[in-house]
Amino acid sequence: MERLMEILKEIDDTVDYGREKALIDNGIWDSFAVITLIGELEEAFGVRIAPAQIVPRNFNSAEAIWDMVRKLQEA
Amino acid sequence: MRDFRKPIKKSWRPFLFFFILLLLLNAASRAVSGIAKRSGELVRDRNRSYVAIQKEPENTVQVLVLGDSESYTTVSPMQLWKETGIPAFVCGQSGQKPQETYYMLKTALETQSPRVVLLETHALYNKEKKINAVQNVVREAGNYIFPVFRLHDIWKAGFSGKHYSGKSYKGFEIRAAVQPYKGGAYMKPTEEKEPVPEFSDFYLCRILELCRAHNAELVLYSGPSPVNYDYRRHNGLKEAAEEYSLAYVDLNLEEIGIDWDKDTLDKGDHLNIFGAQKVTSYLGKYLRENFGLEDLRNEEQYQSWNREAENFMEQYCKIVGNMG
Amino acid sequence: MAYHTALYLFVFLPAALLAYQLFPARHRWKCLLFFSYLFFWLISGKLVVCLMGMTVFTHYIGVWLGWLKTQEPGAARKSRERAVLIFGIVMLLLFLGYLKYYNFFAANANRLLRTAGSSWGFSAKTLVLPIGISFYTLQAIGYMADVYWEKTAPERSLGKMALFLGFFPQLMEGPISSYSQTAGQLWAGRGLKGEDLSQGGVRILWGLMKKLVVADRLHVLVKTVFGSPQDHRGAVIAVAAIAYTIQLYMEFSGCMDIVIGTGRMFGVTLPENFRRPFASRSASEFWRRWHITLGTWLKTYIFYPISVSGPAKKWNRFAGRKWGRYAARLGVSAMALFPVWLCNGLWHGPRWSYIFYGMYYFAVIFTGLAMEPVWDRASAFFHIRREARYWRPVQLLRTWVIIVIGELFFRAISLKMGIRMFFSMFQGFSLSALWDGTLMKLGLDAGDFLAVAGGCLAVGIAGSLRERRGIGAEQLGKLRLPVRWMLYYGLIFAVIIFGAYGPGYQQVDLIYAGF
Repeated sequence: MERLMEILKEIDDTVDYGREKALIDNGIWDSFAVITLIGELEEAFGVRIAPAQIVPRNFNSAEAIWDMVRKLQEA
Repeated sequence: MRDFRKPIKKSWRPFLFFFILLLLLNAASRAVSGIAKRSGELVRDRNRSYVAIQKEPENTVQVLVLGDSESYTTVSPMQLWKETGIPAFVCGQSGQKPQETYYMLKTALETQSPRVVLLETHALYNKEKKINAVQNVVREAGNYIFPVFRLHDIWKAGFSGKHYSGKSYKGFEIRAAVQPYKGGAYMKPTEEKEPVPEFSDFYLCRILELCRAHNAELVLYSGPSPVNYDYRRHNGLKEAAEEYSLAYVDLNLEEIGIDWDKDTLDKGDHLNIFGAQKVTSYLGKYLRENFGLEDLRNEEQYQSWNREAENFMEQYCKIVGNMG
Repeated sequence: MAYHTALYLFVFLPAALLAYQLFPARHRWKCLLFFSYLFFWLISGKLVVCLMGMTVFTHYIGVWLGWLKTQEPGAARKSRERAVLIFGIVMLLLFLGYLKYYNFFAANANRLLRTAGSSWGFSAKTLVLPIGISFYTLQAIGYMADVYWEKTAPERSLGKMALFLGFFPQLMEGPISSYSQTAGQLWAGRGLKGEDLSQGGVRILWGLMKKLVVADRLHVLVKTVFGSPQDHRGAVIAVAAIAYTIQLYMEFSGCMDIVIGTGRMFGVTLPENFRRPFASRSASEFWRRWHITLGTWLKTYIFYPISVSGPAKKWNRFAGRKWGRYAARLGVSAMALFPVWLCNGLWHGPRWSYIFYGMYYFAVIFTGLAMEPVWDRASAFFHIRREARYWRPVQLLRTWVIIVIGELFFRAISLKMGIRMFFSMFQGFSLSALWDGTLMKLGLDAGDFLAVAGGCLAVGIAGSLRERRGIGAEQLGKLRLPVRWMLYYGLIFAVIIFGAYGPGYQQVDLIYAGF
């Protein structure tokens, strides 16, 4: 989770990731931020994110992203 | 049981809402119609006949002319008045559709009780996609019930100070331009026929019912126009007239002496004032002979018609004189 | 019978609502399906077979994919699934491409062949497009991909599939919804509710206001200038481009209000297509607020799949090592953005101006991305805080200029004419054209401009209230009854009195229904 927070801060450090729950729905992140994040996640956690997983639900908050990564690691 | 009254009250709300809406629409319609009657120059050309016919004193018009542009370029009421003393009014509109004809007639019959209704037949051949035709039914019904829909943009002319000009004499305007028609004879006899489209036929029926209910005779007539008529249409219209036992006058076939070098406005589509004079003379004779309409020129209540006719002649001389 | 006509609003819709309510809940979706096909048939007649064919095909591919998923998992299954998906998408695209682009392709191929000295050529065909084909084709493709990705289960019922693709409010202009967004609601068969009916009704009324009061009035001016561009130059062109931008927005978003309002009446929440696009600070933000469902579709089914695909990842690693992360990211963006914007342009129709329109946004957005580091450094140097209040108007204005120029090319009768109009804008540009009476010669008078301004102001205020304070139509319900009703009556009469309809006005067909 800490590693994730670091990555998030690197992408955009003006957001309070502890509280923000609608990164995508509120348009805080655009699609470029999402693909940058995906690249970083794949490298840092050794997971593979498929197009099917790229839905707002999975990217709206730090927790959601972490859940997705953990599920992928387990699989 | 405490909330017994509340839900009932709530369920009545939509009805109340729409009831008030109807009242408001009605009030707005009255207001707008009132303004339109007082300041006719704010009304667009196409709506003018609706307002003008309502402005005529009650039960004075004896012949009502309906149809598209072929109607108001063929019958000149002021000339008819001068020649026969028959008070006629043209309620034509450019591109009038049968649905509009019907509601125009309904509007006119609210205040007038004409003896004869002359329907120019070109409007019946208005070709519309079915779906658009149905759409027009809805629209015209709405316009008739709540004139605020029809006259809604009267504010714009008032605001911009724009006045729609064009002096109309009981629905007829003096148009003296000439563009000859050079096509030669166009009524070549044939057995073929172009029947009146189904949808127009339906409205012809309703128009006829309306006339009968008000004791008016419906007469079909076709104004001379090489662009819009041929023998196939003549046959189709004759058939329709026979089916409903109506009189049908086709001026494309009658010898009324139209000179296609001088009497047309736009190469045989419409007549100019000179052509209209010939048609009007013919129809005047026809009306007097067949319907026994009286000469009302000396009646007290028609003195304004005499004055209007003088104006018309003055204007006519001015325009025709200018042409050299 | 478009959505803004009396026939739809006062006859078709009430009839559909009544029939829907009279049906037992379990069968209500069949009633919706019946009215949807009736709607299609009333507009496109026999072409209804196209929609039926597409529905059957999409349904079949879905079931096929579903069956494959029950087989033994493994590489073989995966590749067969992939083949079926590709087959499905290619067939749909071929069908759409044939109907929509055949003549464009033929004309351009002939031009090439002629330059190559060949006497052989393709003959042009008169192909009639079924209404809304560009919209439900995308829905069908999205559905297939969703089944493939296991985002949704395949739909077993052919009838329900038909309703998902052909739901009548969405048929002509979208919104393009994914299966998971609307499908369940469509066959829920919820009974009509007073709340839904009144909220839906207000939404419809609001849409009518946008379309009849603003868009159809501006249409006159837009048509005058774009219809004979050689007669105009300078500020007039700029005014016409702005007028067209407003017209397009008011018309499309107004139509969406009617569509979404209709959905609401049946208890169906359709996805929103607009979120105050003119409050955007950049071109890419604009596209997150304008025609949102098209943007979302392109993002979901083109942009993301490409940017996480094998080649993109390989490039990322390779370029990342060689030139750094920034260059790597730029490369991936270009790779994924280009097809998105090419498709966006092409989707609107077979015209070079639309392709140019797509490429224009590709260039603008890609330049924006590429310049970001430069921009960061520049703003640090000049001490510009980009979140600052004073900076916002600058960003808004810049975005508006980008949008209006884009729409100028979009509307121009040809790409050549668009380019000529763009340059003639700078010839003899004088602001005095704005008040010396030139504008009054374009078919609109002072009253028209006032009505347009009033309509725009109302839309702007309502949008701002909703976004900044969260006050939307829902809050209207909390107002006291007389106040609320007065607002409703006011809106109704504003549409009746200030609407551009009846004699002296042209009926304007829905612009997006032509795409």
